[in-house]
Amino acid sequence: MMKKNKSKSTPVPTDAAEYVISARNIVKSFYVGTPNELEILHGMTFNVPRGEFVSIVGQSGSGKSTLMNIIGALDRPTSGEYFLDGVDVSKANDKELSQIRNKQIGFVFQTFNLIARTSALKNIELPMLYGGIPARERRERAKELLEIVEMSERAGHMPNELSGGQKQRIAIARAMANDPAIILADEPTGALDSKTGRLVMDLFHKLHREQGKTIVLITHNNELAEETDRIITISDGNIIGDTGNRRAGGDGSGTV
Amino acid sequence: MGLFENISMALAGLRANKMRAFLTMLGIIIGIGSVIAISTLGSIMEASVMDIFNSQGGSNLMQFYVTMKSEPAREYYLDEDLITGEMIDAFEERFPDEVECVIINNGSTGGTMNIRHKEYDVTVYAVSPGYIRQSMTTVEAGRYISDRDCEELRYTCVISDKQAEKLFGSKRGAIGKRITVTLTGGDMIDLTVVGVYKYQISGIMSTMVGNIDDWNNEIYMPYTTMGRLQGADTDTFFQFNINTKTGTDAQKFAEKAENYFNDTFYRDNDSMQVRCFTAESQMAMIDEMLGILQLAISVIAGISLLVGGIGVMNIMLVSVTERTREIGVRKAMGAPNSAIRTQFIVESIIICLIGGAVGILTGIGMGNIAGLIVGTTAPPSLGSILLAVGFSMAIGIFFGYYPANRAAKLDPIEALRYE
Repeated sequence: MMKKNKSKSTPVPTDAAEYVISARNIVKSFYVGTPNELEILHGMTFNVPRGEFVSIVGQSGSGKSTLMNIIGALDRPTSGEYFLDGVDVSKANDKELSQIRNKQIGFVFQTFNLIARTSALKNIELPMLYGGIPARERRERAKELLEIVEMSERAGHMPNELSGGQKQRIAIARAMANDPAIILADEPTGALDSKTGRLVMDLFHKLHREQGKTIVLITHNNELAEETDRIITISDGNIIGDTGNRRAGGDGSGTV
Repeated sequence: MGLFENISMALAGLRANKMRAFLTMLGIIIGIGSVIAISTLGSIMEASVMDIFNSQGGSNLMQFYVTMKSEPAREYYLDEDLITGEMIDAFEERFPDEVECVIINNGSTGGTMNIRHKEYDVTVYAVSPGYIRQSMTTVEAGRYISDRDCEELRYTCVISDKQAEKLFGSKRGAIGKRITVTLTGGDMIDLTVVGVYKYQISGIMSTMVGNIDDWNNEIYMPYTTMGRLQGADTDTFFQFNINTKTGTDAQKFAEKAENYFNDTFYRDNDSMQVRCFTAESQMAMIDEMLGILQLAISVIAGISLLVGGIGVMNIMLVSVTERTREIGVRKAMGAPNSAIRTQFIVESIIICLIGGAVGILTGIGMGNIAGLIVGTTAPPSLGSILLAVGFSMAIGIFFGYYPANRAAKLDPIEALRYE
């Protein structure tokens, strides 16, 4: 079952190119081939068009994290196809996966995950460092991004000198460094108080509105999800609800 | 990801854990330091030994001893076992192409010298004319002890430039003057100064004899004259040296000379024989001993480097574990495995290189402190420094690879989840 699509899926489906994310029948199993084999995702299909702010909502244990790892190219589906900006991630090897993560995905974590003892500016430069961008260009781009997240005056600060909200803004700037196809935010306000969380959400809205970023927000918080264009609800490894794009008139819906 | 970023990242990491970094380096410092100290000390010792070697006539020196045969009938010496002057003369005549000169130093006697009612301690050496070659000195005024001095049992002597200046005001002024020496035992002899030699002493020798002024009391006189004074047979020796002519194959000639003595003069001796030692064989022996010493200490240094390397590996493993989450983040940001591996190997190399550099400085310092005690210092050999740098890098790579590889192979999902 897990390899059934392998041979016929090689040509890129026509609609895959139109979507930033095109997931088809994604299955993820653990302990494959052992008696304990455990299927977490039972065949998920959805598309995300460019520029959409979509939230994926689910309770813990719903398969949310597993799905996020696949969307974020940290993991490959056991079967099914996942096209990110037209590239088949499900067939990529480790090295290609790291390149995809570097160029196409900007991660924002719940716990910020800034590199310790490294200045805000250097943290923002990190994805560009691994992307092979020359030092001067890195620096200029990082400064630009600091301006966008309104943190210019903190450029030289170390993570331990920043508040949670400030750290998350730096992390968002870092996520944007290589101008990725999607920003993948995993409970980005989960470790923040409501006021700071609000500021962070406002920043996402601003990036979405002003820069046309495609943003995937993973959360269990329905209130936050309501702010986004579209809500995909998952439970027990299946998609149980998809609102479609409520602002653009159902653009991304109906693909399930 | 450039090397520069990796290095600055590694240095930042080390700065954050200074104490730990230092303790980790300590093993490398001790290991490299002892290797360098040993090699510095080794070259110091070699230089010192060469000093002594050269001061005794260098590679042309050959020593003859009376020794016991392998199964001697008796284990004590009789007068007839000793080498006689006639034997030496015959030997010299038999090998005119090889023997440059015969050197006899028939021991020394302590004594005192009275000059203007003041007493000076002296050591009187009973030597043959050839001895000047072995003492590596030059005659500054007058001449050395001559063959005729020896043959005619003259009361002549050669004193040092310092003595001459002290006693007679100048080197030239000393020639022809008489000195009176009271030998230990009470004999009082008058000696005529026929020559003044240049007093010189080198590093290790001065340390061995202590105060230079005390040592500067050597007086040389004909060995035959001294022999007569002591009532002994003037012409028998337990030992003598020769200088060979340049170009003589020392090893071959030693064998020939030994055979000559033993076939001609010791065939009927049931217990004793003459053995000949070349300077080279003695040098080789000393070299071998130095080599064994160096090897032994190098092995110990090697073990301490191994232990140091294991320490580095241990700390790198700790560091990888501590930074699991950071590794996960870096991977999420698109760091390929190779970049993570390089990062940690560079860190390990940096630890080892800093440790190695400190070790090199410590080693040079310690080697030279030890050298000062011996009286000679030596510049560190470039070769051993390069070797030490190379070795510390190799340790960094070898012991850093496993932890770095472990870091590189971490699953990003697991790593990000790590608390």
